[in-house]
Amino acid sequence: MKKLLPLFLFQLLLLSTLFAQTTIKGKVTDRKGEALPSANVFVKGSYDGATSDLDGNFTFKTSQKDTATISASFVGYEPFEQKIKLDKPIVEVSIKLEEAMNVLNTVTITAGTFEASDSKKMVMLKPLDIVTTAGGGADITAVMQLLPGSQRVGEQEGLFVRGGSASETKTVIDGMIVQNPFFSSTPDVPQRGRFTPFMFKGTAFSTGGYSAQYGQALSSVLLLQTKDKTDNASGWNLNANMAGIGATYTHKGSVSGSVYYSNLSPYFNLIQSNIIFDKMPQGFSTSLTVNENLTKNSSLKIYGTYTDNQSTILFPSYEEVGTKYRFDLKNRNVFTNGSYQVNFDEGRWILQTGLSYSHNTDKLTIGGNAGDRLDERTQVRAVMTRLFGRNNASSVLFGTEFHAIKVGNVYNQYDFRLNENYGTAFVETELYITPKLAGRFGLRSEYTNVIDKANIAPRISLAYKTGQYSQVSLAAGQFYQTPEKNYLYLNQNLDFELANHLILNYQIIKNDRTFRVEAFRKDYKDLVREYTTFYDPNPYRFPIGKTDNSGFGYAQGFDGFFRDKKSIKNGDFWFTYSFLDTKRLFRNYQQEATPTFASKHNFSVVYKQFLEKISTNVGVTFTHTSGRPNYDFATTSFLPIYMKPYQNVSLSASYIKVIKGNFVVFYASLDNIFARKNVFGYRYSADGKQRFEVTPPVYRTFFLGISMNLSKQLSKPKEADLEN
Amino acid sequence: MKRILFVISLLTLVITETFAQNPAYISAMEKAVGLLSEFENTENNKQAVSQLERIAAAEPKEWLPNYWAAYGLVNLNYAETDADKKDIILEKAEKFAAAAEKLQPNNDEIEVLKAYIASARMAVSPQDRWQKYGGIVGTALQNAAKLNPENPRAALLAGQGVFYTPEAFGGGKKKSEPILQDAINKFAKFKPASSIAPNWGERVAKWMLSQI
Repeated sequence: MKKLLPLFLFQLLLLSTLFAQTTIKGKVTDRKGEALPSANVFVKGSYDGATSDLDGNFTFKTSQKDTATISASFVGYEPFEQKIKLDKPIVEVSIKLEEAMNVLNTVTITAGTFEASDSKKMVMLKPLDIVTTAGGGADITAVMQLLPGSQRVGEQEGLFVRGGSASETKTVIDGMIVQNPFFSSTPDVPQRGRFTPFMFKGTAFSTGGYSAQYGQALSSVLLLQTKDKTDNASGWNLNANMAGIGATYTHKGSVSGSVYYSNLSPYFNLIQSNIIFDKMPQGFSTSLTVNENLTKNSSLKIYGTYTDNQSTILFPSYEEVGTKYRFDLKNRNVFTNGSYQVNFDEGRWILQTGLSYSHNTDKLTIGGNAGDRLDERTQVRAVMTRLFGRNNASSVLFGTEFHAIKVGNVYNQYDFRLNENYGTAFVETELYITPKLAGRFGLRSEYTNVIDKANIAPRISLAYKTGQYSQVSLAAGQFYQTPEKNYLYLNQNLDFELANHLILNYQIIKNDRTFRVEAFRKDYKDLVREYTTFYDPNPYRFPIGKTDNSGFGYAQGFDGFFRDKKSIKNGDFWFTYSFLDTKRLFRNYQQEATPTFASKHNFSVVYKQFLEKISTNVGVTFTHTSGRPNYDFATTSFLPIYMKPYQNVSLSASYIKVIKGNFVVFYASLDNIFARKNVFGYRYSADGKQRFEVTPPVYRTFFLGISMNLSKQLSKPKEADLEN
Repeated sequence: MKRILFVISLLTLVITETFAQNPAYISAMEKAVGLLSEFENTENNKQAVSQLERIAAAEPKEWLPNYWAAYGLVNLNYAETDADKKDIILEKAEKFAAAAEKLQPNNDEIEVLKAYIASARMAVSPQDRWQKYGGIVGTALQNAAKLNPENPRAALLAGQGVFYTPEAFGGGKKKSEPILQDAINKFAKFKPASSIAPNWGERVAKWMLSQI
């Protein structure tokens, strides 16, 4: 007993010390000292802890002895840990939590970019917006033309960005330049893009100041990212419309093949057209897509397509009223693009490689004269990216590209050909100085053997978050482009053309409402100028005059964008307005003048509404483009004759129905419902004495179609996602 | 006396030995899980998630604290209205789910939890996200059904997905009825492995059936 007593006492002591508790109290605040309620504070390794109250205060008891590690966690903040001494009955701790980098508090560089993406949250447009916009005809470029900074040029395809011509915009798929993004050009008839919006998970449309990863575009790049593999679904998609029929089969989400036959006979038989077809446009295309996640860290994408199109149009010859000439076009196009991506070290190193080959031939017969257009481009690209810093938000990348390009134009006895080898290397870093302040600094160097010249172009962007929902950004840089092939055929002593960009952007995105305003200044230098005896306004003429790089010009202006998806239930509307002031001395202009493709004011309104009761999405789009200047044949004064403004009101509707577990979408659109007689410009007879109006191929059009998804697993066709 | 003292000594030894272990763990868990039983009660949910986070940190070998913390966070996300904040909460839930899966791979309940989180992710912006998260929900529920065809929560989430999908897209309350009924039957047969094992969902299933 006596022996046991000390043991007993000892154990009592042990128990009492064990249950003697220390009170830990304090306050949780953010860096500015603002109280953080509902933060979790606890002694690491024990259950002892508490949640901070509305004033950020907490108090709890712990039976831990001597020292303890105090942990604190709160959603949206970095975890906190601190060792404390438990040497008093009441220990006070003050806890300051650092905000974690997240979508709410982290700035993104936005000057000059307009993204349509699902992956990033700070976007103003989703990929589906492209197919649901009335007047856009499910064509990527047509919808981009409704965005600020871009404008519609009715007689020509392409993106005309802030006073830039269509050739100043490059289309890029997964980092690779697309040689022929549009169906083959036909005089005064704009062509659609070759790629369906459903191929892409994201679209970023740059209006300037873009990354050093891209080049050869004075004004803008349109960046398209193909979809990743997301599921293992197999199934058919069938579609039929007034322009053709097609079928796609997807096997286990990774391989898909498609065939499409187009024939515009039904369309033009129903619609009154301003052009006469000797042979209706028809074509065949097929494509194969492989999309496989090879391992958890690597993926392979292969896309290949072959297209064959032909048509014969009787165009007005612009010599005498009523005379026509035949324009016969046979186009063959092959485009392949493969990319492989792998990441190491938990995603901190990313290697992206790409290989692309494209081949395009246009066999032309123009009024009995034979002509060919040829393009071939082989390109390889590799980019290595390293992520670093807090949350791995900062990055540095190095990349290189090599292109072998062959182009040719044959017309009767003339045979012009050009082989170009183009190489580039670039380095760029995106740095988060704080979550609120980020900068992107890039340098791009290019060399091309065709003019045997090299350049170095610096690019910089800065972004600062001014409030919870708002930010300002700035972008500046130099952008080089090799002169157009038509000039290079005859003169290979030319130099790169150059544009200097400066862009200032402010945007606020809150509760599904977006407001954005951007001001810009663009200075053009070393533009190619052709010296001719008189001004010939024909845009399709071949430049035979002496050329040099003495051209120059500027473009400046601002644009605004407002979008609201909140105020109207199931409704969505947006306004854009762009103001442009631009003048140039270039091409065969004899004075500094506003280019014929540039309009001063561009305004558009897009409204979409999903009608739940009848599962139908309806949309209306209005566009107004102020009259573009036109210069008379052999003008010496270069006084512009302004065309009347272009206006268009379009409607679209789509109805979704599930029939026996298969999704069926019916869609219809009506373009230019008031059949406004828009005129785009003038063409002149060869002697310049007669002037003819350039009009759209059709004034008012309608279009009907159906798309069906037959799948073993119930999955919606992309078109079914119309409720927005 | 000698014997009494000995017993007390022994007892105190036993107490000091086992303190902060099983019974304490179980009772702390029971308390936290109890707070989660009413998912509408945001304050209780917050308390429970905090408590579970502490337990998860203190018991690095237990998957259930991580499991329940993720579950509680999903419920908290439904109380939040701001889309970006919802995503931040769900990101945290995903981290807890990943921690649970690491400790307990190939568990049907964790697969169900992954589907539960992904469906919450989808609900933030259904039109933009169904493609990505719909796929994740489907795969996770398939995995859960493979691991345990009798899991009532897998059936509940499958039914819930159909319940909230508009009729035009092949869903609807009517179509969800047999699936939810199946879930109810499975709930009737289901016996949780312990007092702190996953046991939620029956009330929601019944509520949804009552709405049809």
